[in-house]
Amino acid sequence: MRPIYLNLIIASLFSATLLMGCNQAATNEKGQDGEKKLVVGVTMLSMQNEFIVNVHDEMAKKAEAAGVELITVDAERSALKQVEQVESFIAQNVDAIIMNPCEVEASSPAVTKALAAKIPIINVNSETSIKPSAFVGSDDVESARIAMKFIADKLGGKGNVLMIHGYMGQAAQIKREQGAREVLKQYPGLKLLAHQTGEWDRAKGMSLMENWIQSYGSQINAVFAHNDEMGLGAVKALTDAGLKAKVIVVSIDAIPDALQAVKKGTLDATVFQNAEQQGSKAIETAIKAANGQAYDKQTLIPFQLVTKENVAKFLK
Amino acid sequence: MENGINTYVNKVGHSYKTRLRGINKYGLMLAFISICLVLSFITPRFLTIQNLMIIVTQVSINALLAFGVTFVIITGGIDLSIGSMVAVAGVVAATFAHPDTYPVVVPVAIGLLAGLLFGAFNGLVITRSKVPPFIVTLGTMTIGRGLALILSKGRPVSNLSDSFNFIGGGKILGVPTLIIILIVAFFICSVILHKTVIGRYMYAVGGNEQAARASGIQLSTVKMIVYTLCGGLAALAGILLTSRITTGQPNAGTGFELDAIAAAIIGGTSTSGGTGTMTGTLIGALLIGVISNGLDLLNVTSYYQQVVMGTIIIGAVVLDSVNRPGTE
Amino acid sequence: MPLEPNNILEVRGLTKTFSGVKALNNVQLSLRKGEVHALMGENGAGKSTFMKILMGLLTPDSGQINFDGYPFKVGSVHDVLKSGISMIHQEILAVPELTVAQNIFLGRETNGRLFDWLNDRHLEKQARELLEQMRVSIRPDARMKELSVAEMQMVEIAKAISNQAKVIIMDEPTSALAATEVTTLFGIIRELTRKGVAIIYISHRMDEIFALADTITVLRDGNYIGTKPAADLDEAALITMMVGRELDTLFPESESQQGEEVLSVNNLSSKGKFSNINFVVHAGEVLGMAGLMGVGRTEIARAIFGLDRIHAGTVCIKGKPTAITSPQEAIQAGIGYVSEDRKQVGLIPGLSVQYNMTLASLSNYTSGLLIGSRKESEAATTMMADLRIKATGPSQKVVYLSGGNQQKVVIGKVLLASPSLIILDEPTRGIDVGAKAEIYKLIARLKAAGIAIVLISSELPELLGLSDRVLVLSKGKQTALLSKDEATQETIMRYAMQP
Repeated sequence: MRPIYLNLIIASLFSATLLMGCNQAATNEKGQDGEKKLVVGVTMLSMQNEFIVNVHDEMAKKAEAAGVELITVDAERSALKQVEQVESFIAQNVDAIIMNPCEVEASSPAVTKALAAKIPIINVNSETSIKPSAFVGSDDVESARIAMKFIADKLGGKGNVLMIHGYMGQAAQIKREQGAREVLKQYPGLKLLAHQTGEWDRAKGMSLMENWIQSYGSQINAVFAHNDEMGLGAVKALTDAGLKAKVIVVSIDAIPDALQAVKKGTLDATVFQNAEQQGSKAIETAIKAANGQAYDKQTLIPFQLVTKENVAKFLK
Repeated sequence: MENGINTYVNKVGHSYKTRLRGINKYGLMLAFISICLVLSFITPRFLTIQNLMIIVTQVSINALLAFGVTFVIITGGIDLSIGSMVAVAGVVAATFAHPDTYPVVVPVAIGLLAGLLFGAFNGLVITRSKVPPFIVTLGTMTIGRGLALILSKGRPVSNLSDSFNFIGGGKILGVPTLIIILIVAFFICSVILHKTVIGRYMYAVGGNEQAARASGIQLSTVKMIVYTLCGGLAALAGILLTSRITTGQPNAGTGFELDAIAAAIIGGTSTSGGTGTMTGTLIGALLIGVISNGLDLLNVTSYYQQVVMGTIIIGAVVLDSVNRPGTE
Repeated sequence: MPLEPNNILEVRGLTKTFSGVKALNNVQLSLRKGEVHALMGENGAGKSTFMKILMGLLTPDSGQINFDGYPFKVGSVHDVLKSGISMIHQEILAVPELTVAQNIFLGRETNGRLFDWLNDRHLEKQARELLEQMRVSIRPDARMKELSVAEMQMVEIAKAISNQAKVIIMDEPTSALAATEVTTLFGIIRELTRKGVAIIYISHRMDEIFALADTITVLRDGNYIGTKPAADLDEAALITMMVGRELDTLFPESESQQGEEVLSVNNLSSKGKFSNINFVVHAGEVLGMAGLMGVGRTEIARAIFGLDRIHAGTVCIKGKPTAITSPQEAIQAGIGYVSEDRKQVGLIPGLSVQYNMTLASLSNYTSGLLIGSRKESEAATTMMADLRIKATGPSQKVVYLSGGNQQKVVIGKVLLASPSLIILDEPTRGIDVGAKAEIYKLIARLKAAGIAIVLISSELPELLGLSDRVLVLSKGKQTALLSKDEATQETIMRYAMQP
């Protein structure tokens, strides 16, 4: 190996980062004609996730309308990166920070640091163990309760259920499992046949479902998947095996694909988490906090169950 | 004892290694069969035609990637960008696969072309710059992921035509298309590796680059072909995955490179190059699939599945290192 | 068994078995203080196993070893070194990034306390004294990787001396040395023996053995054959002991029947390597290339074969000027090259005998896109029989073959590409005397078949015995082109040393 190449790569990456930093600084100054433009730093869990992209797009839209400048960075699911990003926001002296936390514990230092620097920090979509200035989001436990309740109602409180987890140990997975188990406890007639992770992935959910069909076959009455991707994978596997008509599948997030599937009747229900509202409420709260106005410490956006009956109003 | 052909027997510590070598020669097959036997005793659902078909279907995408990476590893290289190529080819193909737009050959051809170009780019950088393939493909892995996100604007490309979804999700005479494609690809790759000049050259380049060059082999040509081939196979895998899950996902294939490399290594491909077979890689991929299917059937949590898989990979590499000639 | 007071090392009844095969069977050795004791035997005779036992790398099945008057417990390498036995390995085991001084004292810097401070300056001072004592000029603060192979060898010896070694084992210490360096080494060895150090000397070079050794012990197939004073033996007698049969005359008689001109090289130059090289080789002729190590012989061969770049001059094949830029083109032009470095440039160790041999001529066996396996294995089997390659079959991996047979595989590969010219670069390096004789016969056969041969060799008897003419090089320059009658050891050495 020739180390010189490695150096070159590092150098070019480094200079690219610097250039990007310069750009931001430049736009920052441009906004200063007339009164000072508010600057909000935004760090998102992952810009590869459709729901999160939707939350962010709504924030960007609202911010532009309000004449606020957004600096958005992608934490790429790394809490460490996220904390560093918040540190750099603090160094840039932004007016407010919106954080979509990667992890409950590991992202908490970012909150502590922002509060210490007297910069308001708003958590959007999920929580940290340290309380931020404000929280905008929905309670994940609630979404799973809604989904599992739907299954219980459909099965008349009796039957065999399978659960496909998200990435084990992530906040959303833990909470969605918690909500589902709460409902299962209320209905002793519902039996959890098996549960396993599908890592939020459609292909993995599909493979898992195929294997379960081999194990349990016609015993399966319903499937609860922690997100729509895995739910759609399960639907595919069940359809291929000719079992879909007998099995109820419910998942969470209401991504466009899932809404289409609900409309077609292949996916029985999904739970709508309102990305637009989370985004717009977050930016609203941030602006208020930056301007020193009063703001709500906690804004909970309710979930909505989407079934064939009401799917039309979610389809744009 | 006559002096002559037997002289090398006098090598140090031969007996212990001979024993292990014997294990490795038929060991993979033995391990595979015994794991299958154990599983069919524990759960009657394992050894059914239907379940076996499902295993092969699930394995097929990883196997295709593993075939490609086997070519690369045999030449002494590595390709970490295959997972990203899966995403790029999948997204590209999906973009052209909406109903009532193009005939189904168009998305397939464009997807494959994307993978071949991507692979050729890997080969070009590796042969022109002499930067180690590990670093080049580490870079293109990230580039590819970015490209897939750019092309799809970060969102899954869905609403694909039925004919496109048939490629990876349909059945012909009751046999899933994925299995048929896997078998065809396996035969073609085996023939390339074991029966053609370029296949032999791959072993030569991986076994000893200098000696290969001194035998009149053009190293850069061999490498270009190998990385392009690997890109093509990754693209095929990406198209099939997209078709199977009926959507082109920009984050599809994340981590697939490691599964594929694991399959090749379990199958006896030495990471130092020069050895490996397609049959071994196929069995390696099947072994991974069987274990994951079996553990799912037994409802073992994924935590344990990961521990089991890791143990198997290390076991395979330990056998490989014991087997490498000239280590004393 | 009475221990003679003059003996530093006594070995009796040493036996070692690997998976039922006796690698050593009842082997004995008596080493007197201050003698050079040559240990001889063909490859596979058991020399390495014997030495590995002495160095503590292997445990014997039975037998006893007395060292310095006491029974010697074979333990770890560390203990062996401490008790005063050192080995200069055939392949040099040095840490390239460390300095000469650091290498000499590696493992003994601080009397074994791992966390003591290192005093590099102190080590360098000691190393300098040591090297001066040996009369070699190597800077103790130079990094090991900056040294020539010969210098590294000297450092290894310095390491052994600094170890207060009473016995030094030298395994082929001259295989990488040029003649002048060999002289220096011999001087050091004589100095050591004067001080009472005993040397076990392993080499395939007869001239060295007779120049240096006081006593010779011969092993064959793991058995002890005998020990005799060197003065009582001559080359033929020694070879008979080693091989167990009379060898035919080493160099076969062959008549020179020169044919047409195959290769002519005009003013060939490569920056920093060689300049203005001119010679012609004819069909059925052997052109020897002589010179000290590193004077550019291998570089010339590599340049003609397209492995390295040529900066000036022309190469003509059968009268036609040919610009060769890659080995591929060279092979197409009918040139074959058997490298001095069998392991690095000659063979693909993990591939079979057949696959190695057909590698340079694969396109001859294809039908359509595929390799015709019948055609390929026929070609390989025929060549194996022709060259008398001893292997379990064409599918045996070459890594398991002996050095001589590996060399034949490389030659087989070159021959299958039907060359009109073969460059043989040190074709007998590191192979035993029986295999050498076979290679010599083969060269004579190729010559008779009308192939032009360029033979590079550091063994003058070999060069003189086989060559029709000898080209002598010194420091990258051509100093003489001698006819068979002119070429003697003395003239060649004179031209090779010419500044």
